[in-house]
Amino acid sequence: MKTIEKLNTTRDLRALIDEQIRLRKAEKKTVLTVSSGTCGRARGSEKVIHSLRRALKTHKLENKVKIKVTGCHGFCEAEPNIIIFPDGIFYQKVAPKNAKDIIAQTILKKTILPGLLYVDPRTGKAESKESEIGFYKKQKRIVLGDNALIDPENINDYFSVGGYGSLLKVLKKKTPEEVIDEIKASGLRGRGGAGFPTGLKWESARKAAGEPKYIICNADEGDPGAYMDRSLMEGNPHRVLEGMMIGAYAIGAREGTVYVRDEYPLAVKHITEALDDLYRLGLLGENILSTGFDFDIRVAKGSGAFVCGEETALIASIEGKVGEPRQRPPFPSTRGLWGKPTCINNVETWGNVALIIDKGADWFASIGTDNSKGTKIFSLVGKINNTGLVEVPMGITLREIIYDIGGGIPGDRAFKAVQTGGPSGGCLPKEMLDLPIDYQSLAQAGSIMGSGGMIVMDEKTCMVDVAKYFLNFLRDESCGKCVSCREGTQRMWEIVKGVTDGTAVLADLDLLEELAAAVKDASMCGLGQTAANPVLSTLKFFRSEYEKHVLEKRCPAMVCKEIISSPCQYTCPIGQEASTYIALIAQKKFEEAYQVIRKDNPLPSVCGRVCSRTCESACKAGEIGDPIAIRALKRFVMDWAKEKGLDVPVKFPMTKTQKVAIVGAGPAGLSAGYMLARQGYPVRIFEALPVPGGMLAVTIPSHRLPKDILQEDIDYIIKSGVTLRTNAALGKDFTLDDLFGQGYKAVFLATGAHKPIEIGVPGEEAEGVLQALEFLKDVHLGRPPELGARVAIVGGGNSAVDAARVALRDKSVKKVTILYRRTRKEMPAYPEEVEAALEEGIKIEFLAAPTRVRTKGGRVVGVECQKMTLGEKDASGRAKPVPVPGSEFQVPADTLILALSERAYTPYLKDSDGLILSPEWGTIVADPVTMATTRPGVFAGGDVVTGPSSVVEAIAAGKAAAQSIEDYLEGRPLARARRLTRPSRYVEPVMLSEEEIERAKRPKMPHLPPGRRKSLHEEVELGLSRDVAVREARRCLRCDLETEDGKKATGKTI
Amino acid sequence: MITILLNNVEVQVEEHWTVLEAAKFYGLEIPTLCHNEGLSPYGGCRLCLVEIGEKPKTRLVSSCTYRVEPGLVVRTDTRRVIQARRMMIELMLSTAPNSKILQDLASRFGVTQQRFTLRNEECVLCGLCVRMCAEQMDGRAIGFQNRGHKKKISTPFDIQSEVCRLCGACMYICPACQLRCQGPEPDTAICNACLTMEPTCLERYDELQCWMYDAGRCGTCVQDAPETGRPKPE
Repeated sequence: MKTIEKLNTTRDLRALIDEQIRLRKAEKKTVLTVSSGTCGRARGSEKVIHSLRRALKTHKLENKVKIKVTGCHGFCEAEPNIIIFPDGIFYQKVAPKNAKDIIAQTILKKTILPGLLYVDPRTGKAESKESEIGFYKKQKRIVLGDNALIDPENINDYFSVGGYGSLLKVLKKKTPEEVIDEIKASGLRGRGGAGFPTGLKWESARKAAGEPKYIICNADEGDPGAYMDRSLMEGNPHRVLEGMMIGAYAIGAREGTVYVRDEYPLAVKHITEALDDLYRLGLLGENILSTGFDFDIRVAKGSGAFVCGEETALIASIEGKVGEPRQRPPFPSTRGLWGKPTCINNVETWGNVALIIDKGADWFASIGTDNSKGTKIFSLVGKINNTGLVEVPMGITLREIIYDIGGGIPGDRAFKAVQTGGPSGGCLPKEMLDLPIDYQSLAQAGSIMGSGGMIVMDEKTCMVDVAKYFLNFLRDESCGKCVSCREGTQRMWEIVKGVTDGTAVLADLDLLEELAAAVKDASMCGLGQTAANPVLSTLKFFRSEYEKHVLEKRCPAMVCKEIISSPCQYTCPIGQEASTYIALIAQKKFEEAYQVIRKDNPLPSVCGRVCSRTCESACKAGEIGDPIAIRALKRFVMDWAKEKGLDVPVKFPMTKTQKVAIVGAGPAGLSAGYMLARQGYPVRIFEALPVPGGMLAVTIPSHRLPKDILQEDIDYIIKSGVTLRTNAALGKDFTLDDLFGQGYKAVFLATGAHKPIEIGVPGEEAEGVLQALEFLKDVHLGRPPELGARVAIVGGGNSAVDAARVALRDKSVKKVTILYRRTRKEMPAYPEEVEAALEEGIKIEFLAAPTRVRTKGGRVVGVECQKMTLGEKDASGRAKPVPVPGSEFQVPADTLILALSERAYTPYLKDSDGLILSPEWGTIVADPVTMATTRPGVFAGGDVVTGPSSVVEAIAAGKAAAQSIEDYLEGRPLARARRLTRPSRYVEPVMLSEEEIERAKRPKMPHLPPGRRKSLHEEVELGLSRDVAVREARRCLRCDLETEDGKKATGKTI
Repeated sequence: MITILLNNVEVQVEEHWTVLEAAKFYGLEIPTLCHNEGLSPYGGCRLCLVEIGEKPKTRLVSSCTYRVEPGLVVRTDTRRVIQARRMMIELMLSTAPNSKILQDLASRFGVTQQRFTLRNEECVLCGLCVRMCAEQMDGRAIGFQNRGHKKKISTPFDIQSEVCRLCGACMYICPACQLRCQGPEPDTAICNACLTMEPTCLERYDELQCWMYDAGRCGTCVQDAPETGRPKPE
C-alpha cells in the first residue's frame, strides 16, 4: 500500500476505521469475491481470477465491477467458489471457461447460471444464495465469516468491518485487569485442544514475576486433515494479530511470536504482509498510538514437527533447541520463552479475542453450552459430501454436523465412525451421533475436541486400518524422548500392523490394550498421553472388527491388503482364484486357466453363465471404471476347454468305505457329492424330481443356461464317481432313519427353498394366476401352461425377469408387463437381464404394487395397482415403498405370474428326525460354517438353510458340508482353520502400453439380436471371442500381486 | 523447607528438590535408568514414575524431573506405577535384551515375559552418553538425530567428530552397550538368572562372591543356573 500514513493517536485510528466502514457501506460496485486460499488455488482459483479480469475488460466493466480475492470461504468441496455481492449469489466449482458467462449473463443480464449452482446432494435442489445452502445454514461463522468479505492483503478491508476497533476500545477504555476479567467472563477456552480457560492463563501470566513477558500464537497445525488455523491466517490474519495485541496489553507482554509451519507459505505471506502494514501504520512498535503501549510481533517458522505444537516443545523450538517437550510445571505462563512468563494460545483462540472485546463477554457466553462457550471450527473431511471448514456453536450434535451441514455421506453409504481431535483423538461410532459436542462430552466418550479435525468414515473404512494410520503418524512424530511414547507407539503400530496383515493372535489384542494403557499413563507430554487414543477408542467401539481380522482373517471393509489379497478371490464364496485364471488368460495359457477354475468349482460352466458375481462387484477396476468381466472370462475358458475336448472327468478311485447320502441334486448337493467322491467316498444323491440340477434345471430358463451345458457339468460330476437316483423323495420314498438303516454314515440335506410366498391380495387364487417357479418348472419339464395374450408379472428378482422372458417366447403371448414396487436401481435381478428384457420388448412398470386381482367368472382379467414412492430405508438397506393415495390404476392381464420370493419347505421332515427348524423362516437350523445340524451325522446346506440365495452360495455350502462330513467320518473336530486369502500360484503380470491402457475398456457381451430371440432354448449371450477375452484379461489390475507374498513371488511391484 | 505427603507420611523437603531426591532422602527406593546425579534430569526412561495428586485425579510423572511443591501428594509404589514401570522395562528389554542392567531390572520387578519382537539394538536412547559428553566432558561430540522411531544417537552428520577426545565416558555410563548379560540366551528370553535366585556361589564358596551384587561378575550363578533348566553357556 502506498498511501499509508502513520497513525499517531487513537483518534487517528478511529477516523481511519470509520472512514473504511463508510466506504464499504457506500460501495456501489458489484463485487465478485473469489475464494482463493491454499485449497482454492490448488483447484485453479488464480486462473479463474485471471479469466474474470479478462472478461471484465472485454465488457469494459473494470470500473463498475470489483474482483476481490479473499481467503477460504470454508466450502472446500465447492472450490473455487465465487460470491457475488450485493446479491450473495454463490457459484461453485468455477472454471476459467465459466468467466465469460458469469460476466455476460449474471453481471450484465442478472440471470443466474444454473450449471454453477450448488445442488444439495440429499434433496437434489439447486441453491443460488450462500445463505440458503445447507452447508452454511446451521453454521455460526463468527470467526470465519469475515473471510468472505476481506481481502487479506488489504488492511483497509479489515478496518471496514470494524477491525482494530476492539484494540482501540482496550487501549482507550480498559485496564489490563478489566480485559482479563472480560475474557474470563466470556468462558473462552483454549481452541488448541486441551480447552484450558484462556482468562485464567492470561491472569497467571500477568501475575507471574519476570520481565519481559512474551506472547505466542501457536500456529503449528499438524493434525492430518485439519486446516482451520491455516484458513484463518490466510483469510483474515489481522483478526489473529488483533487478538494477540489485546492479549499482550492484558498480560503486559512486550513481544509476540507467531510460530507457524513453513508448510503454510500463503499463511506466512499474509501474516508477514499484515505485520508490515501494522508497522507502517504504527500499530506495532513503540508507544503505539501514543498510549505508551509497546509491542512487537515476529514470525517464527516451524519445520513441520508435529510435537512442536506442544507448548514446551514449541518454545524450545523458538529458542533454537530440539523441539522436545519438558516437564510441566513450571508452566509457560510462569516460566516460558527464555525462562520468562509466556502466554501461548492457539490461532483460533486469538481469533476469538477481538470479537469478545467488541461484542462483550455476555454475547459470547450466550453461545454454546454450560462449560463450553462460543463456537468451534472443525475441518470436516473424509467420506462426506460437503468437505469443508465448519464453524458451529458448541453443543451442536455430530449428526447435525455430518448430515445437515456435511450433507451426509457420498454414494448413500452407511456412516461408520467419526474421528475427532486428530491423531490424539478417538473414533466415535454411530451410537454417538447424537452426542452434543463440547470439551467434556467428547472426552467422556473417549475422544477429544483437539484442534478440530473431524474425519468422517463410512462402511468402506476399516477401523483397524485407521488405527494403524494414526499410529504410523505418531511413531514418526513422537519426539522420541520417553520410552513409553517412542517404543510404545512403535510397538502398538507393529501389533496393529500384525492385525491388518492377518498374522496377529488374540493375545496380541490384550497386549495392545495393556500397552496402550501404559503409554497413556507413563508419557510426559500430551502427545504421548493421547497417543493410545486411536487404539483404545477403536478397540472399545470396534473390537469385533479387530477380532474378525485376527480370528477369521476377514477385513469387513475390504481394506487390509494382506488379508484380502485380490477382492475377487476374497469375496467369492468358493474362493475361485479369479486373478490367477485371468492372468493366465492374459498370457493365453487357457489350459492352465481351465485347471485353476476346475480346481475349486464343480459347476464351472454353470457359474460362467449365471453366477451372481460378487467378484465383479468387489473388483478394484470397478472403482475407477468398469469391473473386469470375470464371469464372461470364466465362460470363455470353459467353452474353450470343451471345444478342445479337455473338460473330461476322471473317475476318482473309491478309497473309503463309509457311504454318504445326499438329498437333493441341486448345486449344493451336486457339489458336495463331487467333493466327497474326490476324497474317495461312495456317494449317492437322491433327487425328488425326474431330472438332476435342482433350480438350475427347472427354473433358470434355457436362454440363460442351455440344457446341454448344465447337463455337461452334471455328467462330469456323475462320471467322477457319484451315483444318482432321481424320482426319490425324502419323506415319501424313504426317511432319514431309512438312510442310516441302509448303512449310510452321513447325510447331507440340500433340498432347496421352493415354496412361493403369497402376495396377500384378494383374488390371487383365481384361475390364470401362476407362481413363477411353478410356471418355469412346467415349461422346463415340457408341460407349459396355457398363457393369455397379455401377461403381467409381479416381482423384481431374477425369477420375475426369467418368467417374463420365457412368457414372451410363448406364441400366444402378445404383451408382457412386469410390475415392481421399487425403482430400477433397487431391482434385485441382474442388470443385464433387465436390460435384455427391455430390449426384447417387455414393459416394466416401476413403483407399482398390486392391490387386487381383478377377475371375471373366476378368471383373471387384470390387476389393480397402486403407485408407490420410496420412503425411509428399511432394515435391508433398501428404501421402503410407500403407497401414494388415490393413485390406483389398472393393468389388463389374461395371465398373472407371481414372482415374489420363496421359502424353505420341509414337509418331509418328521419330529423323530431330530432336526430343528427356524420358526421364522422354516429353514433347517445348521451351523453356518460347518453345516452340522442338531443331529450327529446329518448336515444341511444351501437354500434349505439360508433361504433363497445364489448358485455360488449353494456350491460353497456343498463344499463346506463335504469337508465337514469328511472330518466327521474321520473322527476329526469340525472346526475350520481360517487362512489368509492367497492364490495357489503367482502368474507373471503382463505389461500394457500407455496406448493400451488408454483404450482398455470392458467389452460388451455379444447378444443374439432381440428379433431372433424366439426359441426357448437358444442362448442369448454368445460369449466372448478369444481376442476379446485376452484383451479383457489384460485389463486386470492384479491385486493379488500387491501383497508382500505377491511382490516377493514376482519380484515386481505393480 | 516445604511439606509434602510422601506415601501417606508428611515430610519436610527442600524447595529445590525433585520428587526423586525427596524420596531418596527419606530412604525410598525408586528405580532409575536415564538418571545420574552428576547429569541434568532427562525423564526419558520413565522408570522413576510416581503417582501424584489426590484421587480420582491422580497422574503419573517422572520423579526425576518433577519438582516438589507445597502440599504435593506422592505415592511411589502404587499398582498403576508398577504396571507402567513393568511395561517400560519390557519395552526397553525388547530393544536391548543383552543389557545386564535391563535384565536385572526385569528380574527385580517381576517382568517374566517378553512379548514384543526382539530388536537386539544396543541402545535404549536414555541419553546418558549425550549428557555425559556435554555436561561432564564438555565435549558435545554426540547428540540425538531424527525423532520418533527413527531417533538415534550419533555425531553430527554421522562423521567422525572433531571435538571427540575418545575419552570413553559415553561408553562408561551406557546401561545397554557395555555391561552384557552373561545369561544363557538373553537375546531370546528374559534371563531372570541373577537376581531371582539364591546366590549359587554360596554352594561353592563360603562367602558371597558378588561384592558388586548387581554385576554378577564371578559368573557362578549363571554357569550353574540349575533351576532354570536352561543349557549352560559355552
